[in-house]
Amino acid sequence: MNFHLALQTVPSIINPDINFALIAPELIISVVAVVVMMVDAFTRRADQRWVTGGISLLGLGAAAATVVWLWTGGAGATQSAFNGMVVLDKMRLSFTLIFLLISALTILISMIWIEWERLPAGEFHSLLLFATVGMMLMASGGDLVILFLGLELLSIATYVMAGFRRTDLRSNESSMKYFILGSFSSAFLLYGIALVYGATATDRGVPGTTNIREIAERLDTAVYPQLLFVGAAMLMIGFGFKVATAPFHVWTPDVYEGAPTPVTAFMAAGPKAAGFASFMRVFIFGFPFVATAASTGALAHTAWLNALVVLTILTMTVGNVVALVQSNVKRMLAYSSIAHAGYAMVGFVAAGATPDEAQRNEAIAAVIFYMLTYAVMNLGAFTVVTMIARNNDRRTAIEDYNGIGFEAPTLAFALSLFLLSMVGVPLTGGFMGKIMVFRSALNQGYVVLVVIGVLNTAVSVYYYLRLIVAMFFRERTTLWSAPRLSASIAVALAITIFGVLYLGVFPGQVLDALRTTRPTISQLINR
Amino acid sequence: MIPLAWYLALSAVLFTIGAAGVLIKRNAIAMFMCIELMLNSVNLTFVAFSSFFRDVSGQLIVFIVMTVAAAEAAVGLGIIIAIFRNRESLDVDDASILKL
Repeated sequence: MNFHLALQTVPSIINPDINFALIAPELIISVVAVVVMMVDAFTRRADQRWVTGGISLLGLGAAAATVVWLWTGGAGATQSAFNGMVVLDKMRLSFTLIFLLISALTILISMIWIEWERLPAGEFHSLLLFATVGMMLMASGGDLVILFLGLELLSIATYVMAGFRRTDLRSNESSMKYFILGSFSSAFLLYGIALVYGATATDRGVPGTTNIREIAERLDTAVYPQLLFVGAAMLMIGFGFKVATAPFHVWTPDVYEGAPTPVTAFMAAGPKAAGFASFMRVFIFGFPFVATAASTGALAHTAWLNALVVLTILTMTVGNVVALVQSNVKRMLAYSSIAHAGYAMVGFVAAGATPDEAQRNEAIAAVIFYMLTYAVMNLGAFTVVTMIARNNDRRTAIEDYNGIGFEAPTLAFALSLFLLSMVGVPLTGGFMGKIMVFRSALNQGYVVLVVIGVLNTAVSVYYYLRLIVAMFFRERTTLWSAPRLSASIAVALAITIFGVLYLGVFPGQVLDALRTTRPTISQLINR
Repeated sequence: MIPLAWYLALSAVLFTIGAAGVLIKRNAIAMFMCIELMLNSVNLTFVAFSSFFRDVSGQLIVFIVMTVAAAEAAVGLGIIIAIFRNRESLDVDDASILKL
């Protein structure tokens, strides 16, 4: 009798729901990162960067193949595994592909830099791969704890990468600032998770949860709605730091300027995209649109959406206006990256605002497309900046670009293309990206947001064109010889140039792959 | 039994002290310790909720957070040592090559 009673009160053991197929890409990259570290120890110094770089690229390729396999339904109809810790959806897979592309390009860019600076190649490559695993977990986590773990894995690896040139004071300083402010923001994020965990308990004695889907289900039955609001605000601060939205952007310029250029290229593209992946998953799916106006869930939804609108306007404006007065190219691109985060947030707001699933998917696809184009053009621009800066990051002022246009035409024309794409000139990827996010915002009636976005684009023309003018229409005052393009840099440039043009001229295929519902892009232009 | 709200208030106060410390302190090690204080105040929140709900998952999260904090400490101290070797100072106001 007693035994029977005891059985009833003991909670049943939940089946762990292990599914390795769903985390195959993450597993592959983790294993390759460890292998790279081991191989590095047994390779001659002169061969290191090619061996470890080659293994890393192979690993990234294998992971990409697994992602494609998952995309085409390789794992069957499973939507999540490990009791909801990991989810499988198009948003995760497309972000994962972007991260793999960013890592591969960073490896190509960093090859020549590793040689110049005589750095340990294996350490750099394995740190980069661990950072990639972190980014992938940030996209695939269905639970706040996994998102936090992924974010920390990414951040800790990136702190080290920022300080990789450890005899250089700029690199030290960048690394320390990133570390202090990054952990500061992680603490906010974690406090947000704790408060949401407490707030989502229900009055029927069910404990709180950190699972994003369960959070959405329990919004209206939360016992402590105030805690929920504070928790959501803390989460927003934490993610805001990571994607560098306006009041939380102050670390960005210093860190981007001081870090070695290939690392800056990675930091501006990768962690930002990863931050958006988590940010969107938590807020769009964790605090979703609720139809009934007076419920807690609806209040939470309105609150975060309004806050995000303010952040978006600030981010776009601050990024573009402060970029106008910069004299250092890396710093200018840092402020430009803040501005681009703002444009992407326009699409994020649109995705959050709509109750209609098709339109929401469309807006999310627009943000993903924007992050893809930004990654491609940003990495391309930083490839050129790396080549101009040379070892020790010597030439990063705008004056250093004076008159190089006809001495290094490949670099200069490539950089001009990437800058024009960042402005959003038609036939480049940046143009299509902006069209997509602005259009999804217009569909939800955010006219003011779009108008401010377009005005900001007009402002941004000045500082992007200033660099192009410096390259082609100014006289060179100091002696300068054009750098020779190495094979890896040439490949990176070819991929990014092709990417910018392809995404600008034929975006339809990529967009169709990203969203589940049609209207195709040709219909958009005819309309 | 001490009510849940007291624990939450205590951890909120600790978190605020930590956050204020990061903003006010000028020594890198002290700032780092303030960040640890913030993380530990979050741990207190998790444990308080976990015990209140009779749910073990909050305490499991604390283990994860402690592991992450340890990893962060290793990297952070490494960075601080690197900067001290080059500059012989831990005052963050001296770290001003990159303008703010």
